[in-house]
Amino acid sequence: MLTLETIHTFYDHIHALKGVSLTVNEGEIVTLIGSNGAGKTTTLNTISGVLSARAGAIYLHSQGNEIFAGETPASPGSRRPGDVRGESVRIEQRNDARRMGGCAVRLDQLPAHAIAKLGVSQSPEGRKIFSRLSVRENLEMGAFARTDTAGIRRDFARVLELFPRLSERLSQPGGTLSGGEQQMLAIGRSLMSRPRILLLDEPSMGLAPILAQQIFQIIREINAQGTTILLVEQNAQAALQVAHRGYVLETGRIVLSGDSQSLLADPQVAEAYLGI
Amino acid sequence: MARHAETAQKLRIDEQAATRYIGIAILALIIWRVITVGLAEGYPTSFWISQALNGMVLGGVYALVALGYTLVYGILFMINFAHGEVMMLGGIAGFFALQFAQGQGWMEGPWLVVVVALLFIMLIGMVTSVLIGMTLERLAYRPLRQAPRLVPLISAIGASLFLQYSVLLIFGVSPHSYRKPALISGGLRLGNVFIPYTGAIIFITSVLLMLALYFIIQRTKLGRAMRAVAEDRSTAALMGVDVDAVIVVTFMLGSALAGAAGVMLGFHNTVVKFNSGFMPGLKAFTAAVLGGIGNIPGAMFGALVLGLIEAIGPSALGIPTEYKDVIAFTLLVLILIFRPSGLFGEVLSEKKA
Ligand SMILES: Nc1ncnc2c1ncn2[C@@H]1O[C@H](COP(=O)(O)OP(=O)(O)OP(=O)(O)O)[C@@H](O)[C@H]1O
Ligand SMILES: [Mg+2]
Repeated sequence: MLTLETIHTFYDHIHALKGVSLTVNEGEIVTLIGSNGAGKTTTLNTISGVLSARAGAIYLHSQGNEIFAGETPASPGSRRPGDVRGESVRIEQRNDARRMGGCAVRLDQLPAHAIAKLGVSQSPEGRKIFSRLSVRENLEMGAFARTDTAGIRRDFARVLELFPRLSERLSQPGGTLSGGEQQMLAIGRSLMSRPRILLLDEPSMGLAPILAQQIFQIIREINAQGTTILLVEQNAQAALQVAHRGYVLETGRIVLSGDSQSLLADPQVAEAYLGI
Repeated sequence: MARHAETAQKLRIDEQAATRYIGIAILALIIWRVITVGLAEGYPTSFWISQALNGMVLGGVYALVALGYTLVYGILFMINFAHGEVMMLGGIAGFFALQFAQGQGWMEGPWLVVVVALLFIMLIGMVTSVLIGMTLERLAYRPLRQAPRLVPLISAIGASLFLQYSVLLIFGVSPHSYRKPALISGGLRLGNVFIPYTGAIIFITSVLLMLALYFIIQRTKLGRAMRAVAEDRSTAALMGVDVDAVIVVTFMLGSALAGAAGVMLGFHNTVVKFNSGFMPGLKAFTAAVLGGIGNIPGAMFGALVLGLIEAIGPSALGIPTEYKDVIAFTLLVLILIFRPSGLFGEVLSEKKA
């Protein structure tokens, strides 16, 4: 569903990502773990277009045509500019995508809002709730790119079902919520976009253990309902327990990858990230 | 070390207290002046009411312009110093639309025709201002989005002068005079108070436009996106909001209100020329600062207060009316000294760096 090919991202002269390649398949939970400053947030921000990669490529694949809502994808083997609300998008027929009978959009040249409209939704590090907008408005912002009123209403109900606490606070300004509630709101807001792939940056940060546990449970639920997830976590243990596969990032490079079980069993991982 | 910090802290508090005492002293002086001079003149109540109504009309117009300053500041944290000129150009365009309407004989027609013609004139003014505002954003501000904050400010001042002198060059120094149609020339007499129709229409139109703006900002998807962008641009983009488009729309809304203000000020002052936007622009800016720049209800309230102060102030303080501008700008200086965040300043966002 999502492929990063040797991505290099810079902050001015700081070389933060040094050739990151990773893949997230449809329906998976993939986790990206690493210590502070490894480049996890930078990776997510590069995918979502908040930062732009200086080299490398990011592709969003689709099995069918439904990713590119409202446009016809290129016929096999051809290149033609598509259009996402005024942004010109190159739809490429890529080998692996063609094998699956779908096509791919190259994300790394698109502005953030166009990427969001393609169904990539990021719940950013530090929650980034709109503090002066009400809880309801924050959730509505999540659905900004959508026009299917009925679907939005359904997802609104679903989010409130996942986070019943939010439903008591709908008209309250987002900034008045507690940290944990803000985290729920941030995740709920991402879900409101009905993402094809959800990028979660440290969803358990600052939460009480029980609440964190609950969040991981919800991540599983969301995934079971069909959303692909790329999960960034400090809590490697918990992340590897919910994820199918994982990547270990160290100072801008992927140093290890594999399915969660093998990573959990890896002595290197155990020493560096599981605190064993 | 600790002692040092403590002394510094204490000095700062002393300074704050001193500023406050000076503020109170100035306020006392003003009140004393009002009581001994203004009230001692013994003007009839109807005089004060007339002045206040006048002030409300001015306040309504200032509010429309002040909203443009505050909207743009709320999103870009820059003062669009060319906003007064955006308003003036709306006024100029309105003048030509009026001339056209007069040429067609619409202004002497039945009242419905006159009303539609007036709406048409206003619309022309608004559309012109919107086009100017969009062009400014595109050419003068967007290329400087990443520059230090002082840079777009200088660009704005440059744009302001450019627009003023372009109008001077094209249309000359002599003012274009707005001729009111007979339908709105008279007024209403309530006891001793005379309310000119134009004044009433201007005030009501201003209020309606403000309500429309408030509705857009608070109740529509677009307004929600504007508020989200004002708060956190990159997170708004993550939600799929095209930030550049929202910024353009913000300029369009502010400019549309300014265009309406320009036309109404044309009817109110009966003339418009190249520098007609300068003073009202500065006044509206003062009003926006008074209400706390970036704060929408603050701008409306600040403008109303400023309009009232300007209308009542000269008589109340016993100074000639020609000095009413002095009152407005003294007020601006006082706010900047004593309460730089304005009357509703606490809403000012934390992260405007
Ligand atoms: N805005 C910035 N300007 C300059 N350098 C930055 C910036 N943001 C991040 N960096 C640097 O890039 C590197 C990667 O940062 P990043 O935020 O991606 O780390 P992270 O893996 O998310 O860490 P954490 O677990 O602490 O959130 C760090 O060395 C950091 O100092
Ligand atoms: Mg991070």
